Amino acid sequence: SKWKESLIARARMRQNINLMQLVYGDSSSKLVNPSRVTEGGSSEDSDDDILVPKAELEKRMAENPDYDDINVDDRSKIVTSQLKDWSSGDYITVIRDRFVTGDWSK
Amino acid sequence: MKTSYMKLRGSQYLRLRLLLATLSSTPILVEDIRSDSSSPGLRPHEVSFLRLLEKISDDCTVEINDTGTKLRYRPGVLMGGKNLVHDCGLSRAIGYFMEPLIVLGLFGKRPLSIRLKGITNDSKDLSVDTFRTTTLHILKQFGVPIDGLELKIESRGAAPLGGGEVVLGVPIVPNSLTATLWIDEGMVKRIRGVTSSTRVSPQFGNRMIFSARGIFNRLLPDVHIFTDHRSGQSCGRSPGYGISLVAETTTGCLISADMAVSYPKAEEDASMKYDEKLELLPPEDLGTQVASMLLGEIEAGGVVDSSHQGLLFLLCALCPPDVSKVRVGKLTPYSIAVLRNIRDFLGVKFVIKPEAAMNTVILKCVGCGLKNNARTIS
Repeated sequence: SKWKESLIARARMRQNINLMQLVYGDSSSKLVNPSRVTEGGSSEDSDDDILVPKAELEKRMAENPDYDDINVDDRSKIVTSQLKDWSSGDYITVIRDRFVTGDWSK
Repeated sequence: MKTSYMKLRGSQYLRLRLLLATLSSTPILVEDIRSDSSSPGLRPHEVSFLRLLEKISDDCTVEINDTGTKLRYRPGVLMGGKNLVHDCGLSRAIGYFMEPLIVLGLFGKRPLSIRLKGITNDSKDLSVDTFRTTTLHILKQFGVPIDGLELKIESRGAAPLGGGEVVLGVPIVPNSLTATLWIDEGMVKRIRGVTSSTRVSPQFGNRMIFSARGIFNRLLPDVHIFTDHRSGQSCGRSPGYGISLVAETTTGCLISADMAVSYPKAEEDASMKYDEKLELLPPEDLGTQVASMLLGEIEAGGVVDSSHQGLLFLLCALCPPDVSKVRVGKLTPYSIAVLRNIRDFLGVKFVIKPEAAMNTVILKCVGCGLKNNARTIS
C-alpha cells in the first residue's frame, strides 16, 4: 500500500549506508530482502511454502535471484527486467551530462 | 601426505571458487551440489570447466562422486601452452569459460593460446564480441602486456547447437599485476558496437542497428555499429542474432551491454505446453533493449559496467600489496559473492564506501601480492 512506500524507501537507504556490513556481515543475520517485503504481504503466506512441489520451488528460485540458494545459477551478467523508456525526454535529461555533449559547467 | 581441504557447499559460484582455489593453491571439497534437485549433481558445463582446468594445469586432481554431488579438487601448477583445443559443450556459452580463463592464463608458466568451440553468443553469458571490445581491455589497466592478448572469432554459433569457434590468446604476467587507481569514469565520447547474425536474414543486423541508433540519436552523434553476418562455413548450426554495444569515455573506460536471442533447446520445447513455433524477440526490439541497457549502465556510473565488476575486484585483489581504488555503480549480487569469496580464499577485504555525490560505490583494497609462481618452478 501507499503509506508503506516511504518506509521501504527509507529502509533501503539505511541498508545502502552500511555496505561493509552488507557484503562481509555474518550470514546468520539475514538481511531483509526489499523485494520480498513488498511482495510478501502477510506472514500467513509462508504456510503455503511448506507443501510445494520441488519443480515449482526450483522455478520460483530461478525467478528470484535473491533467493538464498546454495545452488544459485553461476552468471556474472545480470538481467535487468525493468528497463526505462529512454526514448522519452525526461530520462534523457538525467544522463545528458554523462556525455561529452552535455553541460560541462557543472 | 594428507591434504586439508576447504569445505564448501552447493554449486554456487563454482567457477569462481575453482579459479580462486587454483590461484591460491587451496584444495577444495564441494558438497551438496544440487543434492535436493530433481536432477542432482554437476552440470555438463561445470564438468567441462573442470576438464579445461586439467588441460591448462599440471598435476591437478579432480574427483567427482557417482552422483556428481560431491567434488574434490586439488589444484596443480598452471602451465598454459599453445595450440590447445577445448570443446565447451552446449550447456553454456564460451563466455562462461573465458571469464575465469583470462585470469588463470595470466599466472601460467607459458602464454596461453586456446581454441574454444561452442556457443559464441547467448543471453546468459558475455558474448565473444563484448569480450573482445571490453573485457580484455580491463586487464590492460592492471599492467598486463598488450602483446598476445587477443580474441579471434573464427566462426559464430548460436544456441542451442552452437558450432562457433574462437581463439583466445592470453599473455603471462612476468611477475605480478600492478595496482590501479581507477575512479574517474569521465564522460561518454563515443558508442561502438557490433551485431552478430547467423542463419537468419542479413537484414536483421541493420534492423537492430536502426532501432539502437534511434535511442542514442538525441545524446551523441558519434555512434558506429558494425554488422557481422556469417554464412556458409562460419555460421554455426543454429539461427540466432544479437548485438553488443560499448560506450567509450574520455578517460578510456568501457561500458558494455549485450544480448542475443535464439531458439531454446528442443527438449525444453517439448516439456512446455505445445505451442506453435516460438516467436523470437524482433531485431528492432532487441536493438532498443540493448541500447536501453547501455544507457542504464551509463546512468549507474562506475569505471566498468555491472557485468565486469567481479573481474575488476578479482584483479584488484590479486595485485601486489599496494592500494587499489576503484569506483563502480551499484554492487550486483554476483559481485558481492565475488567479494566474499575473495575474502575467504585470498584474505583480502575491501573497504567499501558509498559515494553520495555521484551515487556510486568506491572500493579500496590492498592486494594479496600473488606472484606468478608457475614461472619460477621449472
